[in-house]
Parts: sequence; C-alpha cells; structure tokens
Amino acid sequence: MKQILLITDGCSNVGMSPIVAAAHAKSEGIAVNVVGVVDHGELGEYGASEIHEIARAGGGISRLVQAKELAQTVQMMTRKTVVQTIQLAVQRELQAVLGNDSIEALPPEKRGEVVQVMDELTETSSLQVALLIDASASMRPKLASVEESIHDLMLSLQARAGKSEISVFHFPGSKQEDCVMDLDWTTHLNGVHSIFPKLHMSGTTPTGPALMKVVEHFIESKSLRETEMDGMLGDDVV
Amino acid sequence: MTTSFKLPIKKGSLIVGKWKQGHYRVERLLGEGANGKVFLVSKDWQWYAMKIGQSTVDLQSEINALKALSEYNSSQSSYLKDVDDWITPEGKEIPFYTMRYIKGTNIVSYMQLHGYEWFPLVALHLLRCLEELHRAGWVFGDLKLENIIVGQYGEVELIDFGGATLIGKGVKQFTEIYDRGYWNCGSRSADAQYDLFSFAILCLHLFAPQKLHQLSKGLLPQNRSAVELMELVTETPQLKPYANWLEKAFKGSFSSSKDAAEQWRMLAHQRKPLMKQKHTPRWLKIIIAVSLISLAASASLYVLDYTGLLN
Repeated sequence: MKQILLITDGCSNVGMSPIVAAAHAKSEGIAVNVVGVVDHGELGEYGASEIHEIARAGGGISRLVQAKELAQTVQMMTRKTVVQTIQLAVQRELQAVLGNDSIEALPPEKRGEVVQVMDELTETSSLQVALLIDASASMRPKLASVEESIHDLMLSLQARAGKSEISVFHFPGSKQEDCVMDLDWTTHLNGVHSIFPKLHMSGTTPTGPALMKVVEHFIESKSLRETEMDGMLGDDVV
Repeated sequence: MTTSFKLPIKKGSLIVGKWKQGHYRVERLLGEGANGKVFLVSKDWQWYAMKIGQSTVDLQSEINALKALSEYNSSQSSYLKDVDDWITPEGKEIPFYTMRYIKGTNIVSYMQLHGYEWFPLVALHLLRCLEELHRAGWVFGDLKLENIIVGQYGEVELIDFGGATLIGKGVKQFTEIYDRGYWNCGSRSADAQYDLFSFAILCLHLFAPQKLHQLSKGLLPQNRSAVELMELVTETPQLKPYANWLEKAFKGSFSSSKDAAEQWRMLAHQRKPLMKQKHTPRWLKIIIAVSLISLAASASLYVLDYTGLLN
C-alpha cells in the first residue's frame, strides 16, 4: 500500500496544479493525504479548500490542525487510510461475489468475519508512506513539530506486523528544484537526529510539481519487493 | 482527533433494529468515544447502554474484540447484548450495539464524593480488570480516566473497547498523554506493560492533573522520559507509598499484570512482605530477655523468702 502525506500551511503558487498531481498519484495507486497546519489562521479560505481538494483528488483524507496536534493527527490519518484502502478492496470483492458492494449490507454476524479479515490485513499488509513537507518560509516555526510527528509515525508503524517504510521530502529546494529528498525508504529512524538539517527557505510553493516528483520516486523504487498483499489488492488500490 | 457527528436523537426517540427488530427508547447521552456515542436506552423495562457508531467497520472491530473476550471469560459474557443497524428517519443506516448498563461514575467524581481513601482499592480493581484481559490475550490500549466506570463500592468496569488490541499487534487507539511511545518509554506494540504504563499515568492524572499537563507541554519531545514522570511522582504526596511500584510500571519491569496487581495489593493493605516479618526485632529480644531475667530474679527472691532462707 502506498501513501503520500503532504504537510503544508498555504496555497501552491508555481507550476502544475496540485489537484491534478494528486489525481496522477491516485491513478498510480498512491493515496494522498493532506494536513494543513493552521497555527495563526494564515491559511485562508482558498488554502483550506485547496487542501481538501488535493485529498479528494488523491483518494485520501484531509485535516486542518494546530502544530501541536500534528503527531497524533499524522499517525491516525495514516492508519485510517490503510483501513480505507483495505475496505475499498474488500468491497470490490464483495461486489464480485455477492453483487452488493457494502459491508453494511451484510447481516451483523457475517460482518464480524469480514471485519476480522480486514483488521488482520490492516496489521500485516506492507506499507510505504512518503512524507512531503512544505518548507516555505512560513513553515519554519512548525518544523520542530513536523519532525516530532515523523518520529511518532515511525513509532506507530514499527508496531505493525507488516513491513512499513517511510521516506521524507521537502519542497522547494534551495537551488530552484521542485523537491528534495531528505530520507530514502527506511524502516527506522535510529541515528537520525535531524531530518531537515539546514533548510534554505524560499518564497515559492510548488506543491504540484513536488507531488509529481514523489510519485516518480514511488515508480522508480518499485523494485522494492511486492508482498502477497500488494498482489491481492491489484494496481488500482485506491 | 475525535470527529463529532450529528445524530437525529433526543430523549424519547425510538430506535428499531433493522435485523432483529429490537425496540429501544432513548433516555439520554452517556458519553462519547472515538468510534461513536453511547446512549442510555430502555427496552422491556430494562436499561442498556447503546453505542452508536460512525463507521460500520470501526464499530464491528470493537464488537469482535468484545465477542472474543466474552468467549474467553464468562463474567464478561453478559457485556454485549445486541448488534444491529438502525435506519434513521432520513433513511441513513447507522450501526449500533447494546451492552449492559453499569450504573456508576468516573473515577474523579467517585473520589470527590467518597474520599481518596477508596483510591488503593479502586486501583486494585482496575489492575485486576487488566489482568483478566491480558490473560485472554488482549490489551486494552486506550486506558484513561474517561474509559473507566466506578460502581458503588469501588468496583471497576472498563468501557469503550475501541483500543482493544491482540497482544503482539500495534495498539489500535491511544491517547497521547497515556501513551508509552509518547514518553519515550517503549514501543507501541500491545503487551501487558503497555496498559500498566497507562495505569501509572492515570495515577498521576488523578492526583496531579495540572502538573502532568504542564510537564507534557513543557518538555521537548526527546526529553520526555520515565525520569521526568518519576520526579512528578515524588512531588505528589498521595503517591509516595506507590513510588516504587509506579517506577516499575514506567520502566516496564513488571513480569506480568498479575505480578503488578499482587504487588499493588501488598501496598494497598500496607503489608510488608512476609519473609521480613519472620525476624524478631532486636529491641524486642532485649526487652524479652530483660523481663525474663527480672522475672527469674523476683521469683527466686520470693522462693527464698518463702523458705525462710533469707532470715
């Protein structure tokens, strides 16, 4: 299962629309979740609606939270999206077998068995989460909270039975790149003291192009072993 | 991140099960958990607590845990009563389950009402609840003040099994301040020690709520630790007798929750471990010796006097 988690505090202002980029991600079987950090209400109505639109196009979920709530939010969203992804796959199976597509349509006794299988899959399926961090100037005071939430997410993922990996990107880069990778796929953060050592904060927010870069990275690193679970869910996971 | 949802429910609303046609009348809202709202309802002159969920899957997952527990343990068997769906007047299908209604209050109001003298016993009952769960192979996960009901004489019931997780799996649902991972004291894998850690936080939450809050907000994430928590324990006079116990809970050094409950019981009864009591204290030995000697002396004087040898 593949997810992108975008943490941002404002509107994109350069390049491709992030909503189109999120739709691209979805078509590659990657769910896009978005957290808007709204400490001083600088996001505005337009920014908020962009955040929700990105998540909708990317088949994920979106939340607007304060920096101090980031850790709890990030780990819960990740888990929720895993559950949703499995739910969608299971519903497709139900559609094929029973001709109805919802778990709700099953009588409560049958439902119990289906959900038990889903819980098992939630726990054991392999998972890749790419974190994409908006590092524009206004995000600077929030980066400590972002780092904390990444460590916290790793802790939750390590408790899973299935293989879980994260990678971290930030945008924009100091030399006009759309996006820079800070951490390649890893299953632990041992020895990683600072994920963002020194960031050169810049004014532009190329959210769309950055999202596309991360999608490319997923495709390039596809060599990572496919587990049984990925096989079962097929390509159009979300 | 509890998202509230609106339900077309008020006092007197009638909820009819879609599959089993159970008729329930709503009395009032009892509480709200991460997976749904709990109402007090009546059916055939009986009270029940009804949990109405937002997501069928989340609620069913909780029901599965409750079922598995009932199968293991007969005392929990009457906990889960009915599982069904309700079609609201607007035509929305909402899942619910009913459980036995436990009359009681939360720990904080119980203590305020009956006195902190009850604390050691209530805590012991809570530890026994956890022990039972762990024996069945489950961890409660989201242990916190809100998820505990205390009955008239300090009996304890756990409510809201949304965080219940099979031992060895990743804890499903937790609350930051009660979480072992948050305090850098271990993993988020479900084991008995995870619940015991939350239990120890709960003790702090009871006696030093403000300070606990300040501590969690004031420290940098990497500085949260068992040492900081223990410092708070030593600043809290009510927890002094339990300081050693709490330290073990924070460090995860209890071998099992049975062991933890047993050690708590010793403290609650203010008993010293038996082996130490076999020793007769030295001062007592001396006093006994002195009294024996003086008895012998006075007795011999008496005998001598009686036989007339002293004259």
